[in-house]
Amino acid sequence: MDLLKVNWGRRKHSLFYYLFLASKQLFPLDLYLFSPNPFRFDQPSSSSRLFDFGRMSQAGVDVPAKGGFSFDLCKRNDMLIQKGLKAPSFLKTGTTIVGLIFKDGVILGADTRATEGPIVADKNCEKIHYMAPNIYCCGAGTAADTEAVTDMVSSQLRLHRYQTGRDSRVITALTLLKKHLFSYQGHVSAALVLGGVDITGPHLHTIYPHGSTDTLPFATMGSGSLAAMSVFEAKYKEGLTRDEGIKLVAEAICSGIFNDLGSGSNVDICVITKGHKEYLRNYMEPNPRTYVSSKGYSFTKKTEVLRTKITPLMERVEITEVGEAMEE
Amino acid sequence: MGDSQYSFSLTTFSPSGKLVQIEHALTAVGSGQTSLGIKASNGVVIATEKKLPSILVDEESVVTNVNQMSLLQVQKIQHLTPNIGVVYSGMGPDFRVLVRKSRKQAEQYNRLYKEPIPVTQLVRETATVMQEFTQSGGVRPFGVSLLVAGYDDKGPQLYQVDPSGSYFSWKASAMGKNVSNAKTFLEKRYTEDMELDDAIHTAILTLKEGFEGEISSKNIEIGKIGADKIFRVLTPAEIDDYLAEVE
Repeated sequence: MDLLKVNWGRRKHSLFYYLFLASKQLFPLDLYLFSPNPFRFDQPSSSSRLFDFGRMSQAGVDVPAKGGFSFDLCKRNDMLIQKGLKAPSFLKTGTTIVGLIFKDGVILGADTRATEGPIVADKNCEKIHYMAPNIYCCGAGTAADTEAVTDMVSSQLRLHRYQTGRDSRVITALTLLKKHLFSYQGHVSAALVLGGVDITGPHLHTIYPHGSTDTLPFATMGSGSLAAMSVFEAKYKEGLTRDEGIKLVAEAICSGIFNDLGSGSNVDICVITKGHKEYLRNYMEPNPRTYVSSKGYSFTKKTEVLRTKITPLMERVEITEVGEAMEE
Repeated sequence: MGDSQYSFSLTTFSPSGKLVQIEHALTAVGSGQTSLGIKASNGVVIATEKKLPSILVDEESVVTNVNQMSLLQVQKIQHLTPNIGVVYSGMGPDFRVLVRKSRKQAEQYNRLYKEPIPVTQLVRETATVMQEFTQSGGVRPFGVSLLVAGYDDKGPQLYQVDPSGSYFSWKASAMGKNVSNAKTFLEKRYTEDMELDDAIHTAILTLKEGFEGEISSKNIEIGKIGADKIFRVLTPAEIDDYLAEVE
């Protein structure tokens, strides 16, 4: 929950801002918003000591960076919320993501709306992330978390492929993801649907933010998961063909788009089969946006022109050189 | 880490101003199997001898994956990124370690800047690693020289990295046992506007120059990268084709 952490890496800024605030005599709560970056112990200064409550003994001491998540700022954030500060909301994906296994492989589907509270932040975002040439992952939850986690694991998988000389397996991606999420104890808010086809066949898994996983023939996640699951439960059967599978996935996502506020806009689909993948971006656009009225606009009442005055915004200036040219 | 007697750097300056360990490392390189690289107008080719110590060595090819990186049990030419390949002369195990480090650095660069690492950057970072091992306590320099071949926005590039950590950009270069003969041959044969296929033929001829025994697709390795920016190690069948053309 590092919502309120602001990075003031430069000493000069801190000092200046303190003087500015002191002169304005603002409510002291604002001062707390600008605490120094807890990971940079190499910057003790007179100004930072003023902000540094509870960690003064460490100012001036070189503490080596430790691994893992530092929960110091979480305590501070809790204290601030108790004092009445409203935490800013972060970009959630309130989403419908689905996956199903069909005859030849895996089909993943997702909607494309990213919300920030009640506002649509991105009308056409990409929720199906690349993990490996044969593995893709849909992400629900906090957009930054899903992006960062899938990016990081995709990078690790690539290095692993170079080392072993083999294609990545879905179970490898699954284990890397769940280890990471578990070690962050659910604070990395990423709920994922991971699907792919490897040497052992097609696989589909769901991963929850706390690190638990399921292996399923069809799966849904996100705020629209119940709407989508109702479609799957009614119509899924084993051995679907490619077209039937795509149709079913599109139907499930549409069900989420129309019945869930957090999901909307278009349908993205990704079909993965042995040795081949197809990323169908914006496969369906059931919510087209019309920007301009096709009929054009006509104003019935004519307004009278009383006076016309034109002010040029740019002036043309003539330059005449007088005197001698400058000597070098 | 060990006795205080041994925790100094093994590369301390000699009175004549040389770093003796690095000189010895270069000697180790010089006794390794010959490898060479040629930069053509539209690509780069690197090649090496691959003389196995005995016919009993099992060099079966392991699975070939989507990126066309088949991992032979003994493969001297390696990928660092999809568009950068590397070959060495010297000690195989040292090469393995460097390749692993370089791949990781290339991947970290990619993650940070979302851009495939330029060849010069990767060479520089690898060279930095090699230099660190000449200035730290209790370690020895790497006993390999690398030939890095890549194709990025700046076009085809060929770099040599030495155990000291210095790197050079070459139009054509050779390293290892047969270096002087090979370099003389390359100086005579190299032309600025060579095409990639010509370069491969020239590389094969250069290897043939100092080759002990019969040259065949089983005892040389060739890697190339063209304008498609994908580094590939040639299969034995392809090498046979080129050998036939050269005859």
